[in-house]
Formats: sequence, structure tokens, C-alpha cells
Amino acid sequence: MMTTLLIQALVTGLILGALYGLIGCSLTIIYGTMRIVNFSHGEFVVAGCFAVLMFFTATGLHPLLSIPLVFVAFFLVGMCLYYLFVPRLNRGDDPEVASFLTFYGVSLMAGAILLYFFQADTRSLNYVFTPSVYKIGHVFIPTAHIVALATGVAIIAALTWFLYRTIYGKALRAAIMNRDAIQIVGVNINTLSALAFGLAIAIAASTGVLLALVFPAFGPFSGMDYTLVGFVVIVLGGLGHPIGAIIGGIVFGIAEQVAIVFLPQSLSQAVGFIILIAAITLRPSGLFGKVALR
Amino acid sequence: MLDVQSLRKVFGGLVAVDTISFDVPENSILGLIGVNGSGKTTIMNCINGIYDATEGVINFRGTNLVGKKPYEIARLGIGRTFQVPRLFRRLTLTENLMVPVLEDSRSNVELTEKANALLAEVDLYRIRDNHAEELSGGQQKLVELLRVMMLDPDLILLDEPFAGVHPNLCKVFLEQILKLKDAGKSFILVSHDLTSVYSLSEHLLVLNQGQKIAEGNAADIQHNPDVIEAFLGR
Amino acid sequence: MSSNRLVWTRTSIWLGFLALSALGLGLLPAYGFSLAFWFYLLLWITLASGLNIMAGFTGYLPFGYVAFYGIGAYAAAVTVKMHGLPIWAGFIAAALAGVVLSLMFARTMVLRGIYFSIVSLALAVICRLLIAAMPEDVAGGSYGISLGFSNPDGAYYAMLALMLATLLTVTWLAQSRLGMALRAIRDDPDTAETVGINIGTVRLKAWVLSAVIASMTGAIEAWYTSIVDTETAFNLLVSTKAVIFAVAGGLGTVIGPVVGTVVMLIVDDLIWQHFPVLNVFLLGLVIVLLMMFLPSGIVGSLIRRKPFLRRILF
Repeated sequence: MMTTLLIQALVTGLILGALYGLIGCSLTIIYGTMRIVNFSHGEFVVAGCFAVLMFFTATGLHPLLSIPLVFVAFFLVGMCLYYLFVPRLNRGDDPEVASFLTFYGVSLMAGAILLYFFQADTRSLNYVFTPSVYKIGHVFIPTAHIVALATGVAIIAALTWFLYRTIYGKALRAAIMNRDAIQIVGVNINTLSALAFGLAIAIAASTGVLLALVFPAFGPFSGMDYTLVGFVVIVLGGLGHPIGAIIGGIVFGIAEQVAIVFLPQSLSQAVGFIILIAAITLRPSGLFGKVALR
Repeated sequence: MLDVQSLRKVFGGLVAVDTISFDVPENSILGLIGVNGSGKTTIMNCINGIYDATEGVINFRGTNLVGKKPYEIARLGIGRTFQVPRLFRRLTLTENLMVPVLEDSRSNVELTEKANALLAEVDLYRIRDNHAEELSGGQQKLVELLRVMMLDPDLILLDEPFAGVHPNLCKVFLEQILKLKDAGKSFILVSHDLTSVYSLSEHLLVLNQGQKIAEGNAADIQHNPDVIEAFLGR
Repeated sequence: MSSNRLVWTRTSIWLGFLALSALGLGLLPAYGFSLAFWFYLLLWITLASGLNIMAGFTGYLPFGYVAFYGIGAYAAAVTVKMHGLPIWAGFIAAALAGVVLSLMFARTMVLRGIYFSIVSLALAVICRLLIAAMPEDVAGGSYGISLGFSNPDGAYYAMLALMLATLLTVTWLAQSRLGMALRAIRDDPDTAETVGINIGTVRLKAWVLSAVIASMTGAIEAWYTSIVDTETAFNLLVSTKAVIFAVAGGLGTVIGPVVGTVVMLIVDDLIWQHFPVLNVFLLGLVIVLLMMFLPSGIVGSLIRRKPFLRRILF
């Protein structure tokens, strides 16, 4: 019985972890390229949840079909946000703190907009897959989870291909490593950063679509929780390391789900954070990062 | 006064400093020269505790510096400037000079006067209340040297003091160094600029790829075939 | 004007202003003012100034600052309710709890920038969850602790005293050698160490000081409301608000956090009164505009743009 629960937890943890990883990965693209702390990231994940709800209610089509639409729409939103705020923030004295607060303000505004249009009650996506559950051995896996994981993995694969195989992705990674040097070799850092911001927001919202499939209910107030998870995941994986963030996410997700099996509910939430502290103590730069320490 | 024996520093698989020994007598200027990556700055960093030496002993007046923290080494009487000046950018010039002596028993007034006197000597007194980030690179290097002088160290490590400094400021810099030398201080001078090193240092150490390839006075070094090869290539 | 004289003048003006305000604030309860607004004004000034010691002077922004506030509230409540001791014993317990917790977290200061901030946040979450998971007879469990008595006037005076103590400490810090060492660490910790500053001990002093201010504040708030529970005592909004108020006024300045708190609380109040539906949206907008146009805060930007104002503001 225990093994079944454990396997179940591992599977759920893997699925959630991949989604957490995507949130972290998109967050680290922003932080890495422009040292901007996007504290409103979680709101865009939640906005993705609501976007798929609207799409499904309006068209009745399969929720996954909304991803291209959501991706493009939020890519544009991200670009706009970039041009509105980031160039100005980067000119300041301390972009890290200033951006944290600016985007905290954005997060309040985005949360208020969501609340205004969708009210405070939790919503759910009433889409049922057939069959709704697969049984493998003694383990039950909801179809929605499998679909979300598959899509998540597809997005991760596409992102990895983009970052490591295309010229834009390489430029982006180069910008994460050394923002000054890349300008000298002739890359327009402003355009590149805007694209990165758009990409990150688009990934966050698309992750929201998948989360709406996995979690039965969502409300306008969970943005901050996703932001926190995103930050914990990237510190775990090593700041400025997109793939590290995904692995950090999976570690976090699995730890959380396994802890639910063995520990009382309230303590199990602490496990992910305790792992973060342990990891940082043993390896202060995160699992994959290289950061100068004092 | 400083005796370095078989100093070795390894980063991962890279041997940055390979078993080097030398000593700095009282009241002398030792020149460290070598191309980029030859290990000059690494040796400085080992002496003032930024890096822990992998092997070897660094003896300063009977105390082994290896394993000591940078602030302990500073308080023993070893000062240091950096290749790229590192001032506290949002502190005023006077405050910058005060930082090393914050745990001194002398009164604030006394220390401020000392700081301001030093600033006056190099003609920076009138902008003493400006933030350090408002200075030119060369001026910042000068203030960095004054900051070192506040602790009144016996040994001063200068990392590329003349690189990127306006010739007029270079002269002020040289004057200060010679004045300190007359007052009995010792120096280790790292530089690319061979002319200034040749003119200042009695004794030179030539490094290449972490190893000592030559040692001696300026005349010996200038005609040493190994040195010519290392600097000019073949 | 020589710099010593300048410091003397502006410090005198500021201390005079503080004394007058303290007198006025001290008389409020006697004239029957409703204390709620004023109590929380004092509370936020204290927290923003306490946070400023770390964030403004030393260059570490602890998102999890609330951990100290929460542990103080709990230490006081447990001492008073579970062990039947008087409230002053609760304050001592709160201060001790702040010291112990800050020493436990001291190692996190090897981390820099956003790393430090996130780890500090994680620690605050862990504190909340651990306390909620403790047995009910030890720390009240998930229902929290009710003190069973309250003394709003007493708590108000205690808060006023703590705020004054905090502001005097920060004023002293701004001109002391310790403060200069902290600002050197903020600008460049590595260099500070190579010129002879023992950065470990120096920043630890700031950290413990900052923590004790927060834990005492938590204890006084517990006395004021007479109820402590994990959701409010460890609410992350406590950290975010303290950060916003301090930044709005100007990190690293003495007067900034005070001005920032007053302005932001008034703005918040006006928004609530006039635009109840849009309040959160507008608050967000105010924060965004503030950061866009006054990124060094109100006082910080004033000093930067009009250097002659350094004679009165610092």
C-alpha cells in the first residue's frame, strides 16, 4: 500500500514539478538577461488559467488548442510590459530592488484586474478527458496529468532546442552570462531583452493553461504562491540557468508530494523550503549555478 | 620582511601559481612582471588572503599569513590596491579613507584630519565630500592608495598602479610611492609597464604561466633570453 | 559649512522634530483619539526603519523579515499565556527570540542579492509552518493563542517607546563608525574585508539589531490585539509592506522610512475611502509610478537632485 502511495506521489510530483520548473525557467530567463525581479510572474500563470477557461467557455474546443493563442497573446503582453518598465528600471541605481517593487505593484494591479473580471470565487475547467483516469499497476493517473506532462515536456523540449540550437537562443544565453560583452559583439540588447520578456510571460501563461488542467480549482489570489514557487525553484536550480530551474522544479515537486505521504499536511508544505535551505547550505550557488559568494 | 616559500595555487585543474619562492627585504620595491595570466595577481591575492594558498608558506615578520582572513592581514600591516580601483562608490572621499581605521582608538576628529590632509596632498581636498563614483578612474586609483596609507602599512601591494592613468596623475602617483619608500615602506609592484617597473624596482621577478622564469635586477632581466622569449614570443 | 557642522545642524533639527512629535503622539490617548490608525503608523515606521538597517545600510534585503516579527509575537504570547508570566517578561522573551533566530539565520548572509532575499523568505515560511505544526499546549497550534487580556493604551505607549528607540538608534548609526562600516559593506563587501573590516561581525551586529526591532514590534502588536495566529503573525505582507514603505521614503536614509510610511499610509487610506472598488489596483499603480519616477525614494531622490537639502535631510 505504502509503495503504491509512494509511486503515486512520485508521479504527481514529477508532473507538478515539471510545471513548477517551467514557471522557474521563464522567471530565470527574465532575471538572467536583465537582472529584473518579476514579482508579478505568478499573476500571469493565473491569467493563463483564466484564459483557457474563457477560451473553453467561448468555443467549447479542446483546452490544449488554446495554447498557441495564449502564447502569442501573452508574448505581446510581455513585450509591452518590457518597453513600459524595464529600460527605465535598468537606468536606475539598483535595478534588482527597484524592479522587485515595480513588479510587486504590477502584481497588485494584475491581481485586481483578475478579481474585477472573474470575482473572488474559485473556478474550474469543466473539461473531462475520456477515459478520465489510467490505471497502471496499482497506480491511478488522471489523463489530465498525462496530457499536462506531455505538453509540458514538449514545451521544455522546444525551449531547450531554442536556447541551445538557435542563434537567438544562444544570444539569450550569452546575454545571461555577460550582459556587457554581448553588446560589444553587436547584439541589440534592448530588442533581445524585449523578446526574452515576451517569451517568459508567454511560457508562464501557457504553464497556467496546463495548471488549469491539473488543478481542479483556481482563483485570482494564487499568483503570489506561484511567484514564490518560481523563485524557490530557480534558487534551487542555480540562478540564470534555465534547465537547472526545470530540474529544481522537479526536485521541489517530488519533495512536496512525497512529503504529503509521510508527514502531516501542514509540515509537508515546509519540505520544499527545507530542501532549498539544505541545498543552499551544501552548495551555495544552487544545484547548477555559479555565483560569486561572499 | 615578507618571505614566500614554495607558494602554489591551483584552481580546479589549473595551476595558477606553481611553487614560487621569493622574499621582500625591508624598505624595498619588488617588481612582479609577466604577461596576462602569468599569475601575478593570483600571488597578490594569496598574500592578502583573498585566496587561500594551496601549498606553501607566506611569512610576514614571523606570522604565517596562509589561512588568515583578508581583514586580519590588513591589520597586520599589508595594504593593497586593485587593478580596477575598488572604492566604496556611495561613500564620500573622506569616508572612503576612514573605512580602514574604523576600529582605531584615535578620535573621529583626529582621523578625519589625517584623511583630509592626505587628500589635500594630492589636490582632492576640495571634492572631499563627493561620492567616490563621481571621480575619474585615475583619481579613484589615487584615492585607493591614500586609503591604504590610512592604515600605515609596512608592505603595500600595488596592482597595475599606472594602467589607464593620465600621465599627470601618474607623476603624482610616483611621487607618493617614492615618498612612502623614503619613509621606510616596502612594495610589491605588479605592472605591464616595464619602464616604470625597471625604474622603481631594485629587484624583479618574471613570471610565465605560473612559474618563475627569471629573477634579478633590471639590467639582468632585460638581457635574459628566456624573458625576451616569454614577452615577445619567437 | 564644514561637514561636522552640517551633521550637527541636521541632527539637532531632526531630534527636535522627533521630540515634538513624541510629545504630541504621547498626548493622543489622553484626548481620546482613536488609536488604531496611530498605533499602526508607529508600528510601520518602526518596522520600515528596522528593515532599513539591513536593506539600506548593509545592502541585504530580507524578504523574510516577518520571521522575526512573528517569532516575537509568539514568544510574548507563549510566555504570557502558557507560562502565566507578566507582559514585560513576554517582551524580554521576544527580544531573546529575535536574537536567537537571527543568530540561527546568520549564515545566510554569505549569500548576496536576490539569493539572500529568497532564502530569507523560505526561512520565514518554514517558521510559520513549524509553529503551526507544534502541539496546541506549546504554541496554540493552528488556532493561535488568545492572551485573554488586552491593553491598547499600554501597547500604544510601548510602541511609541520602541519607535523612538529605533529612530534614535538609526540616527546614531548614520553617523557612527559602525554605520560607516555597514555602508562600506553595502557598496563592496570584498573590498571592505581587504581594507581591514571584519565583515562577519559587523554585519552580524546589524542583523541582530534589525531582528530584535522586528521581534519587539511583534510582541507589542500581540499585546495590542491580544491575539496571535500564524496566518497574521507570519503574513508575508508584513515584509513586503515594510520594504515598500522603506523604499518609498529612501533606503539608506534616516528620515526616508518615516516619510515613506506616513505618505504611503495616507495614500492607502485615501484610496480606501474614495475608490473602495479599485483600491488594490490603485495601490499597485502608486507603487509602480513611485518606482518609475522616484526610484531612490522620496527623501533619497530629493537629496540626489537638490544637494543643498543634505543640510536638513539625511
